[in-house]
Amino acid sequence: MLDNDLEVHIREREGVAIIDLIGDVTTFAEEKITNAYNEVSRKGARNILLNFRQNDYINSAGIAILIGIVTEVNRSNQRLAMSGLSQHFQKIFRMVGLAQYVDIYQDEDEAIRGFTAAMA
Amino acid sequence: MADVSHNAGPVERVVELHLPSRLGYEKVAMDAAASLARRMGFSADRVDALRTALAEAITNAIEHGNAHDAQMRVLVMLTVRPSELVVSVADQGRKPLMPAHLSPPPTIEESFTRGDKGGWGIWLIRELMDEVEFTTAPSGGNQVRMVIHLEKQS
Repeated sequence: MLDNDLEVHIREREGVAIIDLIGDVTTFAEEKITNAYNEVSRKGARNILLNFRQNDYINSAGIAILIGIVTEVNRSNQRLAMSGLSQHFQKIFRMVGLAQYVDIYQDEDEAIRGFTAAMA
Repeated sequence: MADVSHNAGPVERVVELHLPSRLGYEKVAMDAAASLARRMGFSADRVDALRTALAEAITNAIEHGNAHDAQMRVLVMLTVRPSELVVSVADQGRKPLMPAHLSPPPTIEESFTRGDKGGWGIWLIRELMDEVEFTTAPSGGNQVRMVIHLEKQS
């Protein structure tokens, strides 16, 4: 009831591996998020979108998990973007510095257009 | 809410929550504090800031102060004042908050090279709240006292 409130789904759209994150991004999310990232990477994904939905709770442990993903993306020469974050968490991600390393879009469609433009 | 003022003058209203030291229970306090803050007239972005700061303070209390001992409690006090909300979070102090926890956070660039990417909690609290003070609770544990001002809309 109080933990493990995250659903993770993987799909592909226009050459972008999309990882939908629905719910809380806290310490309980680490295995699910890392497994999803590893799975799309194994399949050769170069462009990855973390698509947040209904995330009213992202804490510092969640931020640490996301920094870990960004670390791997940088090492693997992949491109990472995020979409669907509330204004509050966009602000937090700017404060922490994540926004310097990840393209942050309002929604999935805007992110796909961003990836498409970068690939052109 | 209990009215704790027995004298003439500013009326304070206090809500107390006693949480088990188990991650996840901070969400109960976040919802209670958010409800209170909205009723006081805080804007949505300030309520979000409060939720995040409170979550970090309680998580610290569970993980560090009470060392995940579910028998130990985290005491959250929400004190409503006319122009501010005072939030205190106290643990039962199995493990004192080390100075390292109060030091400035690493930069994200440093985080990329470290195995542990964490350490942002205290920094977030300081960034998001108007006043933050780390003290010792009457029980002897760690206590963080945070204040968010009603008139300060960001």
